[in-house]
Amino acid sequence: MAGKGKSRWADDEEDAAREAQFKKDKEEKKRLKAEKARKLEAERKDREAAAQQQQPPPPQLPQESPNGPPPKRRRVSPEQETSTPSQNGAHLENITNPSNLLRFNGGTFSRSRSVENYDKLNDIEEGAYGWVSRARCLATSKIVALKRLKTDPKDRSGLPVTGLREIQILRYCSHRNIVPLLEVVVSDSTTPLDPSIFLVLEFLEHDLKSILEDMPEPFLASEVKTLLLQLCSGVAYLHDNWILHRDLKTSNLLLNNRGQLKIADFGMSRYVGDPPPKLTQLVVTLWYRAPELLLGATTYGSAIDIWSIGCIFGELLTREPLLQGRNEVDELTQIFELCGLPSEESWPSFRRLPNARGLRLPSNPTPGSTTSRIRAKFPLLTSAGVQLFNSLLALDPMRRPTAKEVLEHEYFRQDPKPKQEAMFPTFPSKAGQERRRKRETPNAPVRGQKAADLGAVDFSGIFAGREKEERGGGFALRMV
Amino acid sequence: MAHMTNPLATPDQIFHRNSLDSLPTELRDAIFFSAQCLTQAAGILLQLPQSVTAQANVLLARFWLIEPMMSHEFSEVSAATLYLTAKIGPCPCTPRDLSNVYAYLLSPSSAFFSSLSNKSPKDIPDDYYQSETAYQAFHSRILSLEHLILCSLSFDTTVSLPHPLAITYLQSMDFLHFPKEKIARRVVEYLNTALLSPQMLYLTTQPNGLAVAAIYNAAKDVGAKMPECEWWEVFDVDREDLGFLVVGMRSLEGWVEDMKGDGVLGKRKRGGMVTRKEVRQILERDRPQQEVEDPELAMARRMDDKMREIEGGAA
Repeated sequence: MAGKGKSRWADDEEDAAREAQFKKDKEEKKRLKAEKARKLEAERKDREAAAQQQQPPPPQLPQESPNGPPPKRRRVSPEQETSTPSQNGAHLENITNPSNLLRFNGGTFSRSRSVENYDKLNDIEEGAYGWVSRARCLATSKIVALKRLKTDPKDRSGLPVTGLREIQILRYCSHRNIVPLLEVVVSDSTTPLDPSIFLVLEFLEHDLKSILEDMPEPFLASEVKTLLLQLCSGVAYLHDNWILHRDLKTSNLLLNNRGQLKIADFGMSRYVGDPPPKLTQLVVTLWYRAPELLLGATTYGSAIDIWSIGCIFGELLTREPLLQGRNEVDELTQIFELCGLPSEESWPSFRRLPNARGLRLPSNPTPGSTTSRIRAKFPLLTSAGVQLFNSLLALDPMRRPTAKEVLEHEYFRQDPKPKQEAMFPTFPSKAGQERRRKRETPNAPVRGQKAADLGAVDFSGIFAGREKEERGGGFALRMV
Repeated sequence: MAHMTNPLATPDQIFHRNSLDSLPTELRDAIFFSAQCLTQAAGILLQLPQSVTAQANVLLARFWLIEPMMSHEFSEVSAATLYLTAKIGPCPCTPRDLSNVYAYLLSPSSAFFSSLSNKSPKDIPDDYYQSETAYQAFHSRILSLEHLILCSLSFDTTVSLPHPLAITYLQSMDFLHFPKEKIARRVVEYLNTALLSPQMLYLTTQPNGLAVAAIYNAAKDVGAKMPECEWWEVFDVDREDLGFLVVGMRSLEGWVEDMKGDGVLGKRKRGGMVTRKEVRQILERDRPQQEVEDPELAMARRMDDKMREIEGGAA
């Protein structure tokens, strides 16, 4: 077989000729390329020289052409698609960023997308400010929560300002303990009179309220700490950014199956300044409302959110809302019963609040009536826990700690240590399958309602039989 | 960082502005400028803080990159943006006040733009009296526009203004003991004027750039000494952007003079706000001239000429 002829892979004259031709072509190409590069180089130099002549350094710019067109226009045409984006980006960076300037990126603006991009799965709940349902994004199959903003076509002031504030604040916020707003979508309805606006929020499986209602056993101390830490770190972020939530309660705290807590429902929240502006006192659901609000304060600050955190702390420990007042007066009575009557010592300025004038307190209070009963009511809590609890529920707003101070509190360093989020138990999701039950908690106050005037209230009798009560559990086994 | 940054217009949005509506650039710029001035005038009459009015200016500019200018009356879009920003801001204004102020500003009795005719207007209250039906109709249009504006901007109403940044920057500079009040005043003037610019400086630059450019211009104007080095880089602005902004801010005054001289605004018979009706009339008037330049007609004419030439040659 080998003798039959040359292998067809062996070189022959034809091949050699072809190779020579190929080499020649290659050299020719090389030469042309070099020439082109030379030309380009020369051109570039010319251009640079011209540019230097045309463009004096900025200090002389204004005198050059005070009213003329700018010498170098910003690029207003879309970029050509000849180069890949990554190359392009690197290229631009090299040219425009020699001294490492910080580039601010604020994003862009565009039209809202349609709600038709989402497939509604089921309703979750109906609150005072809108309906929430579970939905799937058609493009990414991601599960989200759609919150429909309640609008009233008969309302002649247009879209509710609370809804607009909620969108504005949620758009701004970016923190792991605050529910992220993914986008705002609108319905395609042809009637402009009935605009439907939906907030697309991250979907979390539970809210703390329904978990607490269904738990056979309360949270462990370590779990309470984790939840409280997450809540406080979210609230600290809000307060750092001049936002008051004004409706913190367990049904507004969402929890996912990875033990992560996120604050939701910013329908009552707003930006504030320092000094605090005059604000409406009609905020925060009654059971979580701070005493200064009940007494009609119109200038208040972040301390009202801290009071709500205190109420939530109590609820996490017992699974029951801490202060379930039937109305404003009853709520105030329960607060004083738990935290003691206010005195000039414990709350120096409370007499100056609008609703405090009609308040009749016992003229010579019995020794125990001005002290807190938290120690007695929560015998299983460590003394650091009681100390934190007492400070959160301090009657005087000035004496409540800031959310940041809470995060540093001794209570969280004590054993049992806060449980890792990943180690959290999971709960059967209600939001996943069926409609959530209607809540028995009162709703947040509605904007524009008249604030309750407490009138003359007699608190002189509320501590009549207190001395006879038991005074705490002595000692008890600590539960871990 | 969100309080220091703004969403900016994409190059696509600016580029496709021409295809959004077929207005000539000069006309579009004139409408833009008059509407922004109108918003400012209304803000003053409604006693709104400049921070609110300025935000309305920026929202209006953004809106007109998304929606065609001609689809709504210009003055009403201005009123709706002002209503919206006032509502979410610290000092809301009532629709009734808004309606009254705009009715006044659009009437011949107002001083708005009357400087063109060089005589102060006669005050005729009947001109700006608003009947209940007119008010209700205006109110409804404002509400539907409010919704449209929000949808067009996907409900993003945050506007970060450069004014506070400029004050902070000024405090870090010395100007060789030159009185800072003078510079600060000029800085604020530059920043407010830039709101009116049809170059839409607030939509193409982040607030820090605007603040630095205004300080640069102000210091130049009052003759204060600036550091010799590239001090703008401290505030994260590069020289090229600064140069563009400096000229952009300075060129506005001349542009407005031109516009009021023999530009679109100067050619108008009456002062006041430009209306859609007027713009349609101007477009109508200019159309015959445009048709002469129609490429198809020109081609037909050239072919006719050629034919005549050939026929002439044959004969």
